Amino acid sequence: MRRRSPGRAAALWTIALAAAAVMVFPFYWMLNTSLKPASEIFASPPTFVSAQWSLDAYRTIFESRAIGRYFVNSLIVAIGSTALSVVLASLAAYGLTRFFPRGATPFVMFLLFTKMLPETLLIIPYFRLMSDVGLLNTHLALILAYSSFALPFSVWMLIGFFRSIPRDIDEAAMIDGASYLQAFWRVVLPLARPGLVAVALFTFLIAWNSYVWALVLTTDSSMYVLSVGIANMVGEYRVQWNELMAAAVIAAVPVMVLYSLLERHLVNAITAGAVKG
Amino acid sequence: MNARLRRKAGLAFVAPTALFLAAVIVFPLAHAFYTSLHRVRGLNATFIGFGNYARLADDATFWHSLGVSFAFTASAVALHLGIGLALALVVNELRAARTALRIVFLTPWMVAPAVGATIWLWLLEPQFGVVNYLLRAAGAIAAPVAWLGEPGTALASVVAVDVWRGVPFVMLLMLAGLQTIPIEQYEAASIDGAGAWTRFRFVTWPNLRYLVVVATTLDVINTIRHYDIIGVMTGGGPAGATEVLPVLIYNTAFRGNRLGEAAAIGVALLGIVLVLAVVYVRTARLDDGTRR
Repeated sequence: MRRRSPGRAAALWTIALAAAAVMVFPFYWMLNTSLKPASEIFASPPTFVSAQWSLDAYRTIFESRAIGRYFVNSLIVAIGSTALSVVLASLAAYGLTRFFPRGATPFVMFLLFTKMLPETLLIIPYFRLMSDVGLLNTHLALILAYSSFALPFSVWMLIGFFRSIPRDIDEAAMIDGASYLQAFWRVVLPLARPGLVAVALFTFLIAWNSYVWALVLTTDSSMYVLSVGIANMVGEYRVQWNELMAAAVIAAVPVMVLYSLLERHLVNAITAGAVKG
Repeated sequence: MNARLRRKAGLAFVAPTALFLAAVIVFPLAHAFYTSLHRVRGLNATFIGFGNYARLADDATFWHSLGVSFAFTASAVALHLGIGLALALVVNELRAARTALRIVFLTPWMVAPAVGATIWLWLLEPQFGVVNYLLRAAGAIAAPVAWLGEPGTALASVVAVDVWRGVPFVMLLMLAGLQTIPIEQYEAASIDGAGAWTRFRFVTWPNLRYLVVVATTLDVINTIRHYDIIGVMTGGGPAGATEVLPVLIYNTAFRGNRLGEAAAIGVALLGIVLVLAVVYVRTARLDDGTRR
């Protein structure tokens, strides 16, 4: 075994902690600013720990701005996309691995192709098509858009998971009289649960964090999602940074919580996908 | 008979996704291409063949934007990879804290790029921003800098924010790669008296090289298409200094209302990405043949 000198360990720790500080400092500053009263925002030098931390900025954004509304919009859209994407992806991945094992490869190539499409290219027809069918400023438009680019990756990830479940298992269930759908629902899906969790989380995060689609597909401010509502506050004549940072906290905290709870699932699935190519 | 039934059942499972993707990806993509062949003004569209593409070839704005895209992507990706690999090596050594560090390092990547960009707008604010304050306190700059107001610093700033956001993911991939390297190879190297650099050079790097190529390609593909950070921070300004292709597409389509030209730029960007994708698939395949 290699032997590690204390000096080397100290150096490694120094690098790691310095890097961690740079990564996390913006979030500390976001939180710190959001808790300051308006008068203290422009203090010079800036206060790193305020003596008068308060939740006033949070109260203001919920009372006199529509942050609650944006939050609900984000939530509806993210949950809707997740549900749609998980249902479609698991059906397709099951069908491909069980019935068309050879057809899976060209389909996967197509899925990889869709992963390459620039969002800004697709937005142009989306804007036109959604306005033609009257879906501008609806949750459904965003759900469709987010599912469209979460779905290919989800199918791709689930194909990997379903392949690892032996076909004998569902075939045995069918010999016992289960239909295809029953075998899928009762036998295979429960076994693929880690994959389903990863796919659901992945889709939720994509939808929650997405910006440019909502920017184009919603023009009515009551339909804004958090990312758009927050970015729009920047354009105001006099930016209230404490309120803006409070809104950023509201947008960031749910994904941080979700993420740290389910970190392992997501990390395994994503690195496996990328490493496997 | 049984085989036909099976086929039908299989189709029933795959059909919803296939139809959905046809409706939300294939059709819009075809529509985008169709739009790129038209001159669109409001609701009027005139067919002009490849006129928009011909115009792009002479359009200084397009070539400038292409250059900005390459500069942005090349510097961001190089830094993602360099810093990501270095941090992965460090975190991998600190076994006790690996999981905790991984979660901490990943925070910039979890949060919406648009929200991260908003936070950075405040950090980089010229008069009251904390970055100027810290740099002045450290003596690195004499007077406050308007980071996003000058062409040179604006591009560097958006690259820096993209690096902040992009390093975690690369680090994660590299960390996963490092953990697949058999410990025996390191032990053998140590017994032969290899130092840290020699171990990296002859054990870590050969094992990781393939992953580095894959990660680079994926990262280039993702970075060259990225809109949100620059869209929020500068919208392409000042004077087009940060107008990468996705931002140019957005500005042309939704600020300039020239949908046909925007679609043509989009198709050009897609072309670039597809060339990169071919490289990626080749690399991934190469690996299948040689390693398994």
